[in-house]
Amino acid sequence: MNAVLELRGVGKAFAGVPALRDIHLAVGASELVALIGPSGSGKSTMLRCCNRLTEPDAGDVIFEGNPVPAGGAELASVRRRMGMVFQAFNLYPHLNALQNAALAPRRAAGLTQQQAETAAREALERVGLGDRTGAMPDELSGGQQQRVAIARALALKPRILLLDEPTSALDPELVGSVLRVIRSLKEDGVAMLIATHEIGFAREAADRIAFLADGEILECGAPEEVLDRPRTERLQNFLSRL
Amino acid sequence: MRIFFDPEVLAAAWPGIRSGIGVTLGLALSSIAAGVALGLLLATVRALIRGAPLRPVGGLIAAYADVFRALPPLVLLVVLYFAAPFAGIELSGFMAAFVALGLVLGASAEEIFWAGITSVNRGQWEAALSTGLSRGTAFRQVVLPQALRLTIPPLTNRAIATGKNTALASVVAVPEVLNQAASIQAQTASPAPLLLAAGVYVVLFLPLVRAGRWLETRFPAR
Repeated sequence: MNAVLELRGVGKAFAGVPALRDIHLAVGASELVALIGPSGSGKSTMLRCCNRLTEPDAGDVIFEGNPVPAGGAELASVRRRMGMVFQAFNLYPHLNALQNAALAPRRAAGLTQQQAETAAREALERVGLGDRTGAMPDELSGGQQQRVAIARALALKPRILLLDEPTSALDPELVGSVLRVIRSLKEDGVAMLIATHEIGFAREAADRIAFLADGEILECGAPEEVLDRPRTERLQNFLSRL
Repeated sequence: MRIFFDPEVLAAAWPGIRSGIGVTLGLALSSIAAGVALGLLLATVRALIRGAPLRPVGGLIAAYADVFRALPPLVLLVVLYFAAPFAGIELSGFMAAFVALGLVLGASAEEIFWAGITSVNRGQWEAALSTGLSRGTAFRQVVLPQALRLTIPPLTNRAIATGKNTALASVVAVPEVLNQAASIQAQTASPAPLLLAAGVYVVLFLPLVRAGRWLETRFPAR
């Protein structure tokens, strides 16, 4: 398989407590891999190790065939092509939707202001917010804010999106709008690694599901295999509590 | 009553006090500008330094801020004016006051900017870095604009305090408002010039105090 992103033996401990242990996982081009597991199982840490927002202690993260650089402009260039979406949106509150999405194309990718705004506008249209480009974040609903955050990542034309529980902070009635956008991105062939508690969404949209518990991938495979025929007791318990 | 508002003494005092207003404003504006710039520069350095070799720099900046917030500006001023010459540093009264007020405001401003910077959610840094922005660009475009909102009300108060502290320069013979008033008071043995000077300070700084109040409602601390 031609992997966009591959984790090889990645490990991380916080103050001596292991958060991730020997993680092996690959995400292929236009593949959607869902990470499921209880809170604190290491899903966020795993995503954050991919773009080194959290520095892994062990193992390698390979992006497009090369190890993710440790720092500097090389790391910044990899981060640009590896979009990240946060549970808390983290939109820039002092900038409107268009400015949120145009900032990195202008200041990180070096496009002209006009090119950056064009890329931002296209990205906002893609998430269904082409008519809200001038809105400030606090004028948008949570679902709309998260879609702006997705557009901010998409405006850089990334090779893969890392989504860290993108719907967990949303009111239930707003979850659908964000999941619809993620599904449409999958149809367009965007590779994604998504930590989620939406098991129904994972079953129907993911190519593969990985189950994490205590920082380890206990099971990984096609959705029906993982969700309908769980082999470990941990996963059986996890699924039975949903 | 007449002794406090003697019209003849007031008329004689006014030209000197009027020329003092220019000196007071010049000293206030220059030391406020220098202090705010110094504070912003130091807080920026403190926010952007990373890694072991540079870490002590952050400690030095914090130490400067603590020492100069503990030091009364008048003490710093007389040290600069009366003690520094023994070390071969000769400053005019105006320069000594400018340096003293600028250093004291710089220390407060550094702490105010630093508090604003650290109160910006870590998620803002992470979002900016995750899109490939450098730390410097993330700071300038994302973190600092949000920090400044929180900074404006306390910084305005410190700036007003610095403006009022220009009156300390009278002890090192800077011909600002209070110094002018005091020398005329000494010549005429009348308290009227001092009251005129007090009125001048109120007229000069009341608008700033009002502006500060307005800024506090405009940019409430969240």
